[in-house]
Amino acid sequence: MEQLTTSLAPPRANLKPSVTSSTQQVAGSVAKRLTNELMTLMMSSSPGISAFPKSDGNLFEWVGTIEGPSETIYSGLTFRISISFPANYPYVAPAIKFDTPCFHPNVDINSGAICLDILQDKWSAVYSVQTILLSLQSLLGEPNNASPLNTDAAAVWDTPDAFRTQLMKHYQPIKDTA
Amino acid sequence: MASAALRSQVAAKWQEGFARLNRTEPGISGLISFSQAWNIAADYLHPRDITDPLSAKAHGTADMALVKAAFDMINRSRRLPVMLETFLDSICNQYYLIARDIHRYLAQYEQSADIGVMFRLIYRLVDWYRAWAPIEELGPTIRAAYTLTFQTQLFSILPPGFVRGFKALCVSTLVPVVQISPFIWDAFETLGLTDRYEGLIASVGYERIEAYVHETCTAKWDEPCLERLRHWMSTQIVPWMLPMYAKGALNTEEARGMLQNVGSRFDFHMNKTLCDLRTSEIFDIIIDFPDSMGALYDLKECLQRVDQRSSLVQALRKANRKRLLHPGADTKLILSQYVATIKCLRIIDPPGVLLFKVADPIRRYLRERPDTIRSIVANLVGDDDSGDSLVDENEPIQPLQQLETEDYNDPNWDPEPIDAGPDFRTNKPSDVISTLVSIYDSKDLFVKELQVLLAQRLLAITDDNSEKVEKERRNIEILKIRFGEAALQVCEVMLKDMTDSKRIDGHVQSQKASIVHPTIISRHFWPSLESSDIVMPGQFQALQTEYAKEFSTFKPDKKLRWLPHLGTVHLELQLEDRTIEMDVPPLEAAFIELFSAKNVWTMDELISGVGGVDRVAALKALLTWVDLGVLKEDVENTFRLLEVQEEAAPPPRSAPAAAEEPTVTAAQQQQADQMRLYWKFIEGMLTNLGALPLDRIQTMLRFAPGYDQTVEQLAGFMEAARREGLVVGRDGTWKLNR
Repeated sequence: MEQLTTSLAPPRANLKPSVTSSTQQVAGSVAKRLTNELMTLMMSSSPGISAFPKSDGNLFEWVGTIEGPSETIYSGLTFRISISFPANYPYVAPAIKFDTPCFHPNVDINSGAICLDILQDKWSAVYSVQTILLSLQSLLGEPNNASPLNTDAAAVWDTPDAFRTQLMKHYQPIKDTA
Repeated sequence: MASAALRSQVAAKWQEGFARLNRTEPGISGLISFSQAWNIAADYLHPRDITDPLSAKAHGTADMALVKAAFDMINRSRRLPVMLETFLDSICNQYYLIARDIHRYLAQYEQSADIGVMFRLIYRLVDWYRAWAPIEELGPTIRAAYTLTFQTQLFSILPPGFVRGFKALCVSTLVPVVQISPFIWDAFETLGLTDRYEGLIASVGYERIEAYVHETCTAKWDEPCLERLRHWMSTQIVPWMLPMYAKGALNTEEARGMLQNVGSRFDFHMNKTLCDLRTSEIFDIIIDFPDSMGALYDLKECLQRVDQRSSLVQALRKANRKRLLHPGADTKLILSQYVATIKCLRIIDPPGVLLFKVADPIRRYLRERPDTIRSIVANLVGDDDSGDSLVDENEPIQPLQQLETEDYNDPNWDPEPIDAGPDFRTNKPSDVISTLVSIYDSKDLFVKELQVLLAQRLLAITDDNSEKVEKERRNIEILKIRFGEAALQVCEVMLKDMTDSKRIDGHVQSQKASIVHPTIISRHFWPSLESSDIVMPGQFQALQTEYAKEFSTFKPDKKLRWLPHLGTVHLELQLEDRTIEMDVPPLEAAFIELFSAKNVWTMDELISGVGGVDRVAALKALLTWVDLGVLKEDVENTFRLLEVQEEAAPPPRSAPAAAEEPTVTAAQQQQADQMRLYWKFIEGMLTNLGALPLDRIQTMLRFAPGYDQTVEQLAGFMEAARREGLVVGRDGTWKLNR
């Protein structure tokens, strides 16, 4: 039943709650799921990953923070990402992109778009924000050079010094403003 | 030089005047008779000093026929207006006579304060008036002119002292004891005092009403007063009003018509006085509820007549602030007064507008009290020492009511009353418990507290006292109706644990008898119990292990985790010279068990012997034994077992703490845990969103489940976090310290 109503739900464009009663209901169950995920994420103390809704009015737009894993080339760097949940989440993967420019074989340096299988065809409803963030964190250390979005990055991956230079050229540290 | 025309003009006028006065009499005989008539009339009209017997006499002996003839002649000569003017002038000139009289009487009155003097003064004035009045035959115009002049003069000379005396006089007319001549009202009327002092006379009536209401109704709340007051008005005040306000009424019908207007004014005043009185007493009336029903019905009726609703609200709010909502008042007391307020105001104002306005501060205050929920819940489960239940036992138990949105399709829908504020919520008359629970935003808090309380009460049940468990079960069943089945599921499990424990214990005992009778509780469903690191030494340990073994054969998938500090131990100490038998808390038992190994222990040895307990608790437990004369503290922190009782055993300092209630983490402590949870959220948002102002953090914390702190509490919390170096605050915004 749940599945049925969810699949009937209008696509993402109709995200605003209170458009119709049916969206509202669906939005309500999605919001509940997101609240639970937020709770789980807050309670789990996974180092280096974190996310939080952007504003108190909208539970569907989150901001995340990923610290580069130690002993990788990204160590010591912090990346900000934005997460946007569709109205039929978790049946459809959230849209995620890097806000901090990230020089990485699977990340588009300009748009911040990410090429990660679980965010596309391999998405499953059992994944959560936490698993996504962990996946992204590990993606930083272990890129998939077979299907690069950023070919330059894929090309210099094997020469860490050159890669680091490129990385730092693009990287902008996070400013402490809301 | 006068011209010829002027001369002839004057001559013509003179001729005309002469002809008028002389009429057609020969010579000037007409003129002479006119002059005689004028003299007679003027002499007759001349205002005489009635104190002078001679002049009065002269006046009395005047030949009326002659006087009338004289007036007649003057009238025929059309000189009556001139006559009148002369007459009125002479009144003014002679008025000093009256003034003299008035001053004399008033001086006398000032001295004696005797109302009789005022009476005499009034009658004396009437005498003057009558004595100076012109004869009837001159017609109403002249009479009216005279009356007007007389009254004008009178009012102009009345000294201020007169008003005081007059008022006293009016008051005396209201006291039925003094027999007053009914003519006094006629006298007032004659002198025009009724019109001039109407306000004063009415105020006398008002004051009488006020005095009567205060005298007979103050602090009499058991019966409605209004009916009695109305009766009093119609028997006492109306007859008094009659001569003044219904003068000249021919029959009762007419009198009623004339009294209608002024009568309703007096009735209004009576209502207002009663209303003011009850408003000033409202707080005590509520305290006395339900013995003050009469007063409430009075107030309800008065409020319909008099628009004093806002002042009632203000008075009650003020009284509540002063007498109820302060730290000196017990929460239970505030709650019961609140409930009484609800009931009382529902009587006065069924739609609940007054209640809403009055209840708001009380509810806000109650929300800030830490023990409000506990008090309400304690009352719900009948755990109240006072035995004074907030809930009327006769009231049907019903599910908690949700706030309903208004149903505009309801054919009986009424708009909100006009004095309802913008945030007024139509609360349909709901039961008391729903109202109390609605002080808080959610009933979860209540359910949580209920669990804590139930846990406490269940754990306090020693031995196998299934009656008490049954009683708790009954309570829970009743509460289920209110809070719903789902909310009380946890309580249900707790109760089931109690019966299950008994069953399991029965089984285990049948396999292998043990003197340990544990209550087995499902950790997941019980409120967090205060944990303790006590490890029971010696034989206790052995007993526990034995029991646990037996238990795990019975329930292989479960494991017992002991909470030794929550039980009680029945001990029999066999010492050299005596045997001591008693119930003690486990810590005490653990310590004394250690003494069976050796006789002297230091404090630190003892503490490590039971596996870790704080010194204060340890000291308390040891002192219990010291008080009982079993142990002795020879040197500080060193205890020795007294195998042989010492003579000078100190008297017990306190009763043994055997029946101490098991400690369950109270809601307050749970709040601290909650705060730790909130910190995770704050950390999360500051990590991702950067520096945030306080109010933003507060709104964002909406995402944290069950967040109910105020901004002030949050500010305090952030301040604490800053002291611990977790956050940095600058210009009202906070960010993580790294």
